[in-house]
Amino acid sequence: MDAAILTAGLTRRFGDFTAVQDVNLYVEPGQFYGFLGPNGAGKSTTIKMLTGLMAPTSGRMQILGLDLATHLVEVKRQIGVVPEGMALFGRLTGSEYLNFAGRMYGLDRNTAAQRAGELLEFMELSDHPKTLITDYSHGMQKKLAMAAAVIHGPKVLFLDEPFEGVDAIASGTLKAMLQRMIARGATIFLTSHVLEIVERLCSHVGIIDNGRLVAQGPLDELRTGIADESSPGERMSLEEFFLKTVGGPRTAGQELSWLG
Amino acid sequence: MAGVTPEVREQLRAVANVRWRLLVNSLRSVRGRLNLVSRSIAALLVTGAGLGGAFALGATAWELTSTGKLPWLAVFFWIVFLFWQFFPVMATAFTQNVDTSALLRFPLTYRTYFFVRLVFGALDIATALGLCWSLGLLVGVSVATPRLIPWALLAVLGFIVFNLLLSRTVFVWIEHWLSRRRSREVVGLLFFVMMIGFQFVGPALNRYSKQPAAQRFRYVAKLEPVQQILPPGLAATLLTTADAGKATGALAIFALIVAYSGAALWLLHLRLQQQYRGENPEGVSGPRNLVFTSNVVNRGWKLPFFPAPISAVFEKELRYFSRSGPMLFTMVMPLVVILLLSSGKRGLLAHQSDLFFPIGAGYCLLVMTNLVYNSFGGDGGGIQAFLMAPVPFRQIVFAKNLAQLTVLTIEILLLLLGISLIYRPPHPAFLTLTFCWYLFAAPVNFGAGNLLSIYSPKRIDYAIFGRQRASETTIFASLGIQLVVMGIGVLAVVLGYHYSDYWLSTLILTVLAIPSIAGYVILLRRIDQIIMTRREVLASELCRA
Repeated sequence: MDAAILTAGLTRRFGDFTAVQDVNLYVEPGQFYGFLGPNGAGKSTTIKMLTGLMAPTSGRMQILGLDLATHLVEVKRQIGVVPEGMALFGRLTGSEYLNFAGRMYGLDRNTAAQRAGELLEFMELSDHPKTLITDYSHGMQKKLAMAAAVIHGPKVLFLDEPFEGVDAIASGTLKAMLQRMIARGATIFLTSHVLEIVERLCSHVGIIDNGRLVAQGPLDELRTGIADESSPGERMSLEEFFLKTVGGPRTAGQELSWLG
Repeated sequence: MAGVTPEVREQLRAVANVRWRLLVNSLRSVRGRLNLVSRSIAALLVTGAGLGGAFALGATAWELTSTGKLPWLAVFFWIVFLFWQFFPVMATAFTQNVDTSALLRFPLTYRTYFFVRLVFGALDIATALGLCWSLGLLVGVSVATPRLIPWALLAVLGFIVFNLLLSRTVFVWIEHWLSRRRSREVVGLLFFVMMIGFQFVGPALNRYSKQPAAQRFRYVAKLEPVQQILPPGLAATLLTTADAGKATGALAIFALIVAYSGAALWLLHLRLQQQYRGENPEGVSGPRNLVFTSNVVNRGWKLPFFPAPISAVFEKELRYFSRSGPMLFTMVMPLVVILLLSSGKRGLLAHQSDLFFPIGAGYCLLVMTNLVYNSFGGDGGGIQAFLMAPVPFRQIVFAKNLAQLTVLTIEILLLLLGISLIYRPPHPAFLTLTFCWYLFAAPVNFGAGNLLSIYSPKRIDYAIFGRQRASETTIFASLGIQLVVMGIGVLAVVLGYHYSDYWLSTLILTVLAIPSIAGYVILLRRIDQIIMTRREVLASELCRA
């Protein structure tokens, strides 16, 4: 069975700066994969490369067995993406945008309209039919971007910080939807700064730091593995594991003395 | 500025510094450096027009003052006034207004905010030229009659201050009206009424031009008192009165100009104060009237013969256009220009009404420049939706061109209707000639526009007045292309005129249309390759906050 996401030696340089270096990802179909890392570690660059928004400097990428370099359009058909900028058209209404997204992914007009209606209802956006997206709150925009990413029923879903700015109720709705997608065999690859969300949702994680993949595997194994080295038999929280892997917080001596 | 606290001074310095750093940082990219070259060329052109115009107006003012025809100065004050006030509105495509409303989140006093809006808003071509030309008038009068220098200073400075304030006032109010759906509809209705009203202008002017000279001067004389009580006329009257030795009268007139400036200042203050108090100029954060309706989603449009993605992009483009007040506003401009060119017997084209349609059609293409040459600019972060979609990019570009062509066609049909109603329908030879010119010009523009849209994108906001300008490189390149394309059209017409056969012009343009269309098709086929190399720059430029 082909991997849902496979990269080999994935590297991206911007002039002298290497944002992503020699990253080898392996995500099996049906996995809920959390991609973690500190700010500027290379998470968004990796997602951009995996979704065809950015070309790698070197390395190979495959999604569902299809090489991105040679089958870009076919890959795009199979995936859904909520990118960093959300990819919204501010001066369309929510329903117009979803309808547009559906048809861009090859749905016929009836199906696109029907699914757009269902998604608006599901995301609790249906009572704002005349409101332009630019007038939506940040959380509403996030929900709409998510709706657009799933309207065609993608097999692999890439989410860049999907819960950022989303309220607790909406967050619960989104999590339930994502878990249902996983139950039906979809693969989800998400980045998030909220480690509790990753801990609760993801079965596998990868941690990137300074452009390098420093840890990858099933969440439970990783936590137990690292904990065994220091205190055998104990399991670490994801936060402890993350901090141990990428370095701890600032010390008191680094605090800003002039802050009240 | 009296009473400026160190904090305010620091804020003003910070704003100026930000503008400077934006310029310096823009030079880091090749595009930024190219833009600087374009800006330098623009600055040279503006300097040339400013100095040339100032010299011409100065010489005219000198001649009129020396020969005791001071009242005629009113004509030139009116010319400067009309240019100063109307050019920025008519040419929003080529003028830029810095978005200073973003400063509102900082603890600026209202006075500082007002000052920043006034100063940074006034850094435009119309103000630069208006200033130069006004100073030209000042120098002309002063050199001709040195004893009038103090009065000329009063008249011209009052005139300048009034124009500065009025132009800002007009701009912020139009921006305000166009940013709201309801008022946009009202403005649209006003324009419609205005266009209907224009139907009566032609016959009126026709009737006027057939009357004997004495009769015509009687009409002009009727207009004279009206123009005299408005600032441009007042500036000239002030000089005439001062020349007659009536100092008190001249001072009273100056007071009137100051009163007009005060009125403009008050209107500007009203608008900016509302913004300062928290009203968003874009109308995006005001209370929303959310209406619950049944959850029926429109099925969207389906263009016959075209695949679904093309229909989807086409629909999206037209919805965007219909929601852009400033873009809709530019649609009536070709008709307005035709009316200006033809006004009166002495109008530039009063005897060449057959040329109205080709000229108007050419202008239609010109006002589409921003839409065609920066076609992803209004999409902002939405560009990622295009890049992520499993659709060949050429289909997206083609759909955009199709939407642009539709808008252009509607605009030309409106123009045709307007000209036919106001004057007479164009001669079939000119109608065909214009059509064939479009067959040649449109593919050239669309092809070049697609390339520049990809190579030199700039995020713009079609919803806000004065913030639709593409990058400098794009503007210069597009103007160059327009110039060549129009030059070829003119050359074809001249040849037709020379041989007394406009069908010859049509033939030439039809032949030229063949390589033009072929070039467009070849370029369209290569778009997917081009976008692969440019996608990152395109996305990062347009997703930028």
